[in-house]
Amino acid sequence: MNETTRLELLFDAFATFADTLVAGYDVLDLLQTLVETCHDLLDVDSAGILLANAADKLEVVASTSEANTLVEVMQIDADAGPCLECFRTRSVVSLPDIDIGSSRWPAFCDTARAQGIHSVYAIPLRLRDTTIGTLNLMRNERGELNQHDIRAAQALADVATIGILHERTIRDASTLRDQLQRALSSRIIIEQAKGVVAETANVSIEAAFDLIRRHARSHQTSLSLVAQRLVTRELSL
Amino acid sequence: MMANDPFLMASDALSDSGARISELARPFLRFLPVSGASISTFGSFLGAETISATDARAGRVDELQFDLGEGPCWDALVNRQPVLEPDLASRSSVSWPAFLAAIREEQIGAIFAFPLLFGPLEIGAVDLYSIAPVSLTPEQQGQTLALSAMVSRIILRHAISTDIHPDETTTFSRRLIHQATGMVLAQLGTSAEDAHLIIQARAFAENRPMRQIAQDVIERRIRFTALTEPGPSHE
Repeated sequence: MNETTRLELLFDAFATFADTLVAGYDVLDLLQTLVETCHDLLDVDSAGILLANAADKLEVVASTSEANTLVEVMQIDADAGPCLECFRTRSVVSLPDIDIGSSRWPAFCDTARAQGIHSVYAIPLRLRDTTIGTLNLMRNERGELNQHDIRAAQALADVATIGILHERTIRDASTLRDQLQRALSSRIIIEQAKGVVAETANVSIEAAFDLIRRHARSHQTSLSLVAQRLVTRELSL
Repeated sequence: MMANDPFLMASDALSDSGARISELARPFLRFLPVSGASISTFGSFLGAETISATDARAGRVDELQFDLGEGPCWDALVNRQPVLEPDLASRSSVSWPAFLAAIREEQIGAIFAFPLLFGPLEIGAVDLYSIAPVSLTPEQQGQTLALSAMVSRIILRHAISTDIHPDETTTFSRRLIHQATGMVLAQLGTSAEDAHLIIQARAFAENRPMRQIAQDVIERRIRFTALTEPGPSHE
């Protein structure tokens, strides 16, 4: 991808985010779009978002690959890894070479390495005093993320965070915590829906998510709604 | 249906009984023309035990069947069908000779047994007896099956609730379990809640962590198949 095309696509991505924020959206869909945009436009191999649940523990809510192996890497990271540190310190944590971080986070580094991941960049989803989770960018190569990508990723993360926090002030009936918890709860239904599609369409769990995602997109509806209808068997893919 | 419908009152009583396993038999007396009821667990999943009986005679009817290894409750569970004996005295068949001889002094006119099943799992049976001969209408049989299904769920939850593996509390494990739940609900055509319970029960029966069972389901090493649900049988 040449630089001009990339910039155009990045511009499109911001425009899309702005549209979504104006028109109203589902938090989960917004976050899913965010990780996919990072994956498509930045020099990263996989990306994921973790949100803090009611117990202040980080949970994976969106990722570029629904393969359980990647999700497990991120979940271990959430228990002891750069993304937990990023969340706690509310600042960017860069791990340009996981071999160097091995002594601090052995379980995370071993699992990540086994998946071919060699460097990690974690950005807090933060607006002033409120941190709601982290955006994690993972690369198969060692080394720092380039400066352009760092700025773009930070800007994308900020837009998403502002969007989520802004939606709260509009609704305001529920607390931020309730809202984030809702996004995490709809994750349960999405996992179940992946199982339903894996079984009925006889595909892998990962491929099942792609089918669900594609259906939600082409019907302009949210992932959660599609998942709900799959689990109650009103819809079949 | 009327608000004071005896069957609805019985199912309400069952939902309200919470975890009182010893009270599970009583609601059956509310809408059935029987003298006593007992509920026992046995079969491939739970140990043989009478867990609830409305009177001493009902308890003895259960015990005798366990001691002798024959009787209506065994047949009901093995065949996944109710066993109906509306008039024991005029009965000509020769199954359960030892059981029939043993209950001769109990003055039992009619006996019925309904299987307790949950998906592919055998939980046990409900035994019902009446002093005088009596028949159950198809509607009563259907209601008894419906109530039996509620009882199966309660027993199952109770049996496995004491056995939550610490591994199940991690977020990643839960995710796998949710995925497996989706696969099982599609395999069996049940609700997500029931599919989850089936995975939990399998883990309990095999004394393995739920995550492992979930992994086996996802990687298609374990597959649950829907068995035909029992329906009212014909006398």
